[in-house]
Amino acid sequence: MLGLLGILEAGRGIAAPLSIGGEWNVAFDPAATGCATGPAGLRQPALNISQSGVEALITVNDGHATTLEASVHGATLNAKSLTATIAGKPGERTLTGTMKFEGCGPAAFRAVRQVARKRGE
Amino acid sequence: MMPNLFHLVLQIAVILVAARVVGFLFQKINQPQVMGEMVAGILLGPSLLGWLAPGVSAALFPASSLGYLNALSQVGLVVFMFVVGLALDPSELHGYGHAAVLTSHVSIVAPFCLGGLTALYLYPRLSDDAVTFTGFALFMGAAMSITAFPVLARILTERGLVRSRMGTLAIACAAVDDVTGWCILAYIVVLVRVTHAGRPAWVTIAGSLAYVLIMLFVVRRFLPAFERAYAKRKSLSDNLIAVIVVLVLASALATEWLGIHLLFGAFLMGAIMPKKPEFTHYLLHKFESVTVVLLLPLFFAFTGLRTRIGVGGGGAIWLYSAIVIVVAITGKLGGSMFAARLSGMPWREAASLGILMNTRGLMELVILNIGLDIGVISPAMFSIMVLMALVTTFMTTPLLEWVYPTRLFKAQVDEIQKNVA
Repeated sequence: MLGLLGILEAGRGIAAPLSIGGEWNVAFDPAATGCATGPAGLRQPALNISQSGVEALITVNDGHATTLEASVHGATLNAKSLTATIAGKPGERTLTGTMKFEGCGPAAFRAVRQVARKRGE
Repeated sequence: MMPNLFHLVLQIAVILVAARVVGFLFQKINQPQVMGEMVAGILLGPSLLGWLAPGVSAALFPASSLGYLNALSQVGLVVFMFVVGLALDPSELHGYGHAAVLTSHVSIVAPFCLGGLTALYLYPRLSDDAVTFTGFALFMGAAMSITAFPVLARILTERGLVRSRMGTLAIACAAVDDVTGWCILAYIVVLVRVTHAGRPAWVTIAGSLAYVLIMLFVVRRFLPAFERAYAKRKSLSDNLIAVIVVLVLASALATEWLGIHLLFGAFLMGAIMPKKPEFTHYLLHKFESVTVVLLLPLFFAFTGLRTRIGVGGGGAIWLYSAIVIVVAITGKLGGSMFAARLSGMPWREAASLGILMNTRGLMELVILNIGLDIGVISPAMFSIMVLMALVTTFMTTPLLEWVYPTRLFKAQVDEIQKNVA
């Protein structure tokens, strides 16, 4: 019992990667919404993120369920066509950054996490 | 008509065929049928079918149809957990003295502490800040200490070891482990759900205590009526069977409503049922067929669809998997073996007991699915633990045959029978 308490006490000091798993509603900079195949084609929640530690898989709700492999380093989320800064407490987390779409320039966005989804869904 | 009914029926058919075929093949290599069914589930998921033929996988298991499959598999699990509770007989725990007490305690404490220790390494790599270290470490400990009571009983029966000293001791220890493991898991679920739901912890804890007391001291007093009805006619009417099913569902709903989990209620209902062997066998026979043949394979397939062995994560995932497997075996097999040896068992029997206790099988999958559902483990951690469950279950039969060969066991039994004669 003492050993277990020791382990739990030691673990309190360990920091895990910032949580980004769940569904995200995304709002784009108005200047980017004119892009025909880009932001206008997205439905909310626009991003569904499945996270395992620093690794994450982003599914974009663009009608084709495009997936992006991503990684979390500190407060930065990096994927092939997405870069964002993670902010806020786990219950009020936001992403602010840019997304690239085919035929469009990078579109600035701000995303707010909906109720964090059960991971297995 | 339900929009995904065609998909659901097709999925059930494919899953049942895969489960029976792979189960049959595994029996041919002296593995329990259930081991093959578990592997069949994994093969239907992204680890094989989704990897080899992503188009077929997407057509057969579209994401929109999985809700129905999950619901059916959860109903199956509710009935299965009732069956597991029903098969548990507290009288089996009496009469094993020091060996049973020491072995069962060490077989929980050793893997639990090692699981917690492993969590120190894995938490920053495979979890995130939405999960507390305490919740993650306790879950790892509980998942490492579980023993698959039903699979273990089946292996012992198939090898004719069920009435041997080692067999009965293994059953007794596994029963203690299961009950303890489920209690710890219930605590973890409450801990995690209370953190996220914002409901005061005392409501869930007081409600759970009240529920357990009502089950033990009120509901339990009425259950012998079923046994008496059975004794009169050597069977139960369909109406009485329906009443039992409703009681199981009501108990499951109570624990779900309290914020623990459906499965705890079903398990407790089974555990408090009367335990006269004839009555228990009758009920097991009634409930087991549909559950084992139809509903459990759906659960294995649903688990397989959530498991991504070797998909993503690179080489690090294999390293984490190796660590988890080594820790799981060291804690459970090693811990049980040394405890049994310390309590006076010969090395061969002590090692065999350790091997049996290391069988995690289907109970581990049940616990892991709960962990993934409540978000205490990540998808990658889930896949690693599923792999560990498969490895520790698969190794049981060949390792047991190596350490305690059937010919040796049979020779000992023959000798005992001769001496008695």
